[in-house]
Amino acid sequence: MSAPAAIRTTALTKVYGDTRALDGVDLTVPEGSIFGFLGPNGAGKTTMLRLITGLAQPTSGTAEVLGRDVTQAGNLVRAEVGFLPDVPGFYDWMTAEDFLRFAGSLFGLRGTLLDQRVAMLLDLAGLTGVTSRVGGFSRGMKQRLGVAQALVNAPRLLLLDEPTSALDPMGRKDLLEMIASLRGRTTVFFSTHILGDVERVCDAVAILDHGRVVAQAPIAELTAAYGERKVVVEVTDGADELAALLAARPWAASVVRGPNGSIEVTVTDAVAAQHDIPAIVAGQGIGLARLEAGEMGLEEVFVELVGGERR
Amino acid sequence: MSRSSGFTVFARKEAQEIWRTWRRWVLPGILVFFAVTGPPLARYTPQIVQAVAGDQLSGLEIPTPTYLDAYGQWAQNLTQIALFALIIIYGGLVSAERRSGTAVLVLTKPVSRSAFVVVKAVVNAAFVATLLLVGTLLTWGLTAAMFDTAPGAALWSAALVWLVLAIQFVAVMTLLSVLISSAAGAAGAGLGVYVLASIAAIWQPLADYTPAGLASKAVAAAAGQDPAVAWPVVTSLALSVGLVALAATAFRRREL
Repeated sequence: MSAPAAIRTTALTKVYGDTRALDGVDLTVPEGSIFGFLGPNGAGKTTMLRLITGLAQPTSGTAEVLGRDVTQAGNLVRAEVGFLPDVPGFYDWMTAEDFLRFAGSLFGLRGTLLDQRVAMLLDLAGLTGVTSRVGGFSRGMKQRLGVAQALVNAPRLLLLDEPTSALDPMGRKDLLEMIASLRGRTTVFFSTHILGDVERVCDAVAILDHGRVVAQAPIAELTAAYGERKVVVEVTDGADELAALLAARPWAASVVRGPNGSIEVTVTDAVAAQHDIPAIVAGQGIGLARLEAGEMGLEEVFVELVGGERR
Repeated sequence: MSRSSGFTVFARKEAQEIWRTWRRWVLPGILVFFAVTGPPLARYTPQIVQAVAGDQLSGLEIPTPTYLDAYGQWAQNLTQIALFALIIIYGGLVSAERRSGTAVLVLTKPVSRSAFVVVKAVVNAAFVATLLLVGTLLTWGLTAAMFDTAPGAALWSAALVWLVLAIQFVAVMTLLSVLISSAAGAAGAGLGVYVLASIAAIWQPLADYTPAGLASKAVAAAAGQDPAVAWPVVTSLALSVGLVALAATAFRRREL
């Protein structure tokens, strides 16, 4: 029996005319995790969220949210989900408090509970005491209100589409801390192209490119897997000549000179590289100061996975 | 979260939106204007014509106006200008929420798409009915003041027939604003429906048995005649329900 999943998509495909916005996406988001959905602009992240929220229908494949098919479940699923779209649209004539009360009421909140929830979320959004209408809000204020309304029902699953894109550094920091504080209580699935945000708070990540999931794993596992494909060599002298020799080897995908005598080699066969490199260094008659598997950050993994095929 | 609860909360939002935005002023302003100016204009038409035309119309005898002229003016204004305004105002009834993104925030909460569409049609039909009630009361009172007599039967039967027509056009605009993303485009299509209905009403069987005859029958009722309205009213109400149901079905299939 498979582990409980907050989101599970199977061969999820969405086609607009001649464009395959999503192409057979299989994705599993474990319940309770903070899951980053990474991808360059136009990769299909927003399309994915529109399918998960039922705002659009898949061309083929299925999407299950909290164990229910989103195309069938309707209000049952929506009652347990909070959603922030990339550009949230509000009724301009309402105040922030009006909107939060309206949103809470749609979830059936009433009386003291609604009052407390609204007050807490206004505080969270930094909008306590702001009585002007939403129509006059800055983009950052709207984004913060958007996050607050997504939390009004204390959701089991929080879906955020580019939540930090309109926030200033302090707002971004606060939001990421808030997301981190939900760990274990609420599943958070957020799309972004800001790698730092994902590295900071996410347990796991999926990388989307051209409508396909090109990697999906816990962040540590992902960076370790790609780190194994990188070897760092440091020699006492003759680093340039050694770099040229390494670049000629069949297992060397790329060779980059680092500071001092270091060389970073991206390899296609780590075992062969680790056997060959000491022999090459010895053959050159130079001293080997360091030979180790390199560590790749998420950014390097991301660039490695999607950068080479950017249109 | 019950289905009726989401319906009620969204209906309250829709009513507040009418009260707190331009919607509070435009259609009410138009109807109140005609309600207030109609009876005095009807009462003093001979004097106005005399003042404007002078001796040029000395041979023409203008009949003494009666309360039926005030009623007729109210009915004419309702079936033409007020209906045009309604069509234009409701061109973006649903599409405006899609364009602004508010529909996305609402419809990812426990509100069904059908409820979203039906609430809009019902609340705005109720709004139009309220305006009609206020406008007709004003017309009735001012007519009584201007003509000393104002039997209500002709006025209220005309108003009720127009209400059925107005509800039908709220339903038409609900559907068009689901199907057509542009508010101006939907309003244009709505005016096209109005023109087609007016042309269709020239053929007597259509005027007698279908919604196409409602406008002329409202005017006839205001003139003190007793037009047969049962068939047009029943078919119009059935059509209105069908149009809103169709709008809800179409909206459920739309991508947001």
